[in-house]
Amino acid sequence: MLGNGDEIYAKVVSSSVDPRLTFTKMIEPGNLPDEFMEGVKRYKFRGSSGKVNMALDGLPNFKWMPGIGAHLRGAMSISPSVEYMEKAYDEAKYGHWSSRPYIDMVIPTLTDTSLAPPGKHILSCFVQYAPYKLAPGLDWDTEKEKFGDNVVNAIAEYAPNIKDIILHRQVVTPLDLEREWGLTEGNIFQGELSLEQLFFLRPVAGWAQFRSPIKNLYMCGSATHPGGGIMGAPGRLAALEILKDGKAA
Amino acid sequence: MAEKFMENRISETRDVIIVGGGHNGLVAAFYLAKTGFKPLVLERRAQVGGAATTEEFHPGFRCSTLAHNTGPLRADIVRDMQLESHGLKLTSPDISTVSLLPDGRALVLYTDAKRAAQEIAQWSQKDATSYADFGTALGKIGKVIGEALTLTPPNIDNPSSVDLWGMLKTGRSIRNLGKTDLYRVLRWGPMAAADLVSEFFDTEPLRATIAARGIFGTFLGPWSAGSALVLMLRAAADPSPAGSVQFPAGGAGSITLAMAAAAKQAGAEIRTGADIAEIRVKDGIATGVVLTSGEEISARAVVSNADPKRTLMRLVDPSHLAPDFLQKIRNYRCVGTVAKINLALSALPEFTALKTKGNGNLLQGRIQISPEIDYLERAFDESKYGNFSRYPYIEITFPSLSDPALAPPGRHVMSIYMQYAPYTLKNSDWESQRTALGETVVKTIAQYAPNLPQTILRHQIITPRDLEETYGLTGGHIFHGELALDQFFTMRPLLDWARYRTPVDRLYLCGSGTHPGTGLTGGSGANAAREIVKALRK
Repeated sequence: MLGNGDEIYAKVVSSSVDPRLTFTKMIEPGNLPDEFMEGVKRYKFRGSSGKVNMALDGLPNFKWMPGIGAHLRGAMSISPSVEYMEKAYDEAKYGHWSSRPYIDMVIPTLTDTSLAPPGKHILSCFVQYAPYKLAPGLDWDTEKEKFGDNVVNAIAEYAPNIKDIILHRQVVTPLDLEREWGLTEGNIFQGELSLEQLFFLRPVAGWAQFRSPIKNLYMCGSATHPGGGIMGAPGRLAALEILKDGKAA
Repeated sequence: MAEKFMENRISETRDVIIVGGGHNGLVAAFYLAKTGFKPLVLERRAQVGGAATTEEFHPGFRCSTLAHNTGPLRADIVRDMQLESHGLKLTSPDISTVSLLPDGRALVLYTDAKRAAQEIAQWSQKDATSYADFGTALGKIGKVIGEALTLTPPNIDNPSSVDLWGMLKTGRSIRNLGKTDLYRVLRWGPMAAADLVSEFFDTEPLRATIAARGIFGTFLGPWSAGSALVLMLRAAADPSPAGSVQFPAGGAGSITLAMAAAAKQAGAEIRTGADIAEIRVKDGIATGVVLTSGEEISARAVVSNADPKRTLMRLVDPSHLAPDFLQKIRNYRCVGTVAKINLALSALPEFTALKTKGNGNLLQGRIQISPEIDYLERAFDESKYGNFSRYPYIEITFPSLSDPALAPPGRHVMSIYMQYAPYTLKNSDWESQRTALGETVVKTIAQYAPNLPQTILRHQIITPRDLEETYGLTGGHIFHGELALDQFFTMRPLLDWARYRTPVDRLYLCGSGTHPGTGLTGGSGANAAREIVKALRK
């Protein structure tokens, strides 16, 4: 049933959203075995990243590699040392976004100019760590722009001209990821990719074969094996299982 | 150097030489002697025991110098060696752990499950139930893991029928656990201890006190992946959630003294003050040892109770080892995080939290400073960057409470594990930080027992550097190498070399750097002896 009240009937329902949404928000409680629901409840999300997208009036000029060149076309990473990244993580453990974050940047307009008006560019920044659950007294709606400012400052240490060329900035917090994109707790992989949540344990031990305790209801999102990343594998594997069950028309 | 050795005549030819008289060396010596070999144990220090010793550090005050609690010892080893008839007397107090909180409260965990539940119920009824459930699960899973710990890890490339049988038996035991516990075994190992305890408990001090078991002796914080494995390994022989306590009368040294007596009675010979300079290798075969005194002793086989790095990178000339093997052994993670502080006290300190409950009785077990998960994690954070924890995780026992003979009448000894004390300090060294370390520990405990500083007669501060230099623990690692998934079972110490053998023929390992290597259990020594007997009888 859709939000607008429309009902659509089907032989098979395959959920591409995560198990928490599927089994606790979209299905009436009481229809699922306790042990399965415990597994769903235990399944860890804990998003830890945010996104900052910028519309630029030019290209960033990096101190140690000035000018426009091939280096701007690939991924640019602010991860100068293992200790830098570990310290960024330490802050997140206690509910603070990293004051000196790990940043992975790309400029998609260098490979596809149609993404921006002529001469303008886009800088897409993946930022870690941005813990979904902030320390007591903090919330993402008030932290959002501070988090964005901090990312700009971090980049400015390497590309001082960045502040002068920003036309617009879009900050996406883990909370935004949850609200806008349906990613529970802002985890971009629909759940932690940790050993205890992989392979035959993803998303729930005993329920890793894309089926659910409800007949004809399947799972096909990143919360199933082999997990997140834009590769399409969970979807394909789920489809194969659905076909195996003879659900093709 | 070689010429100097040449001058010394080869004094004798021995059957089997055991390098180091730690508990595993002594256990191996016993089993080898029992099967008809004539092992000679060579110990560098003036007394046997390795990390399980009792030493006088102030006139009239003796303390379990390093380890102060058993692993616990494997029951079959205690039985086979008849350790009790050789003088070992273990006592188990009613109280396993008292966990102190900064607000003046204390969480008391009794050894008896029912009493523990009653006490926990004062914090949370739900947790009292979960505590029993957790203990039951650990017991069931621990039994299966315990069986695997007695196995020689299988030869992966070419498993023998014995290997297959062992794997089959373990596999069957795991399946027989039933679905719930089977899934737990698979899921828990790689988890963070903090996550595992949160699945069961709401009470923060209870969570942290149990999770501390997963970080003990390791370079892990409670939020590190794999700390749950350490907790499970330690629970294999002791399923009480926070760990039970077993104190040997006379301190930890009485364990190894009893072991030495048993080994001697079985036919082993033990020599102390025998410092080995080199394990002699000829044409890829171990032929004996050379002592620092210049004396050479040749033997049919050499068994090393020293850690894998010390054995294969220092005692054996590296030119006898293949470069890729050396590379791997260099990468074996062996960086310690524990320091030990022993105090001679004029009286028992008064713990604020225990005033109303009766100080003396509650100090019988282990006293922990592990009030919350974040406290432990922050203590770990500092060590990652080469600093010792300013607010450390602390585990205290009073050996003189279970055996008053360890101190003069009315006086006491206090044995303290401190974590984290990273082996390598940033911009400093342990000699210059020794006093600061002691002060930090005393200051930390004084927040819970304000009169402690006034009762101290003497400090003994053992830094990770001392653990290496005095006790021969490379990197100061109390387990002879990090206990982690990638250094466990078929990978301890190295993948392909987990069967107590080494690339040098007739050189074997029997210390904690081999499977299972989980503390003062004797497991590594007993497993190794079984394999060595098999190999030497061929």
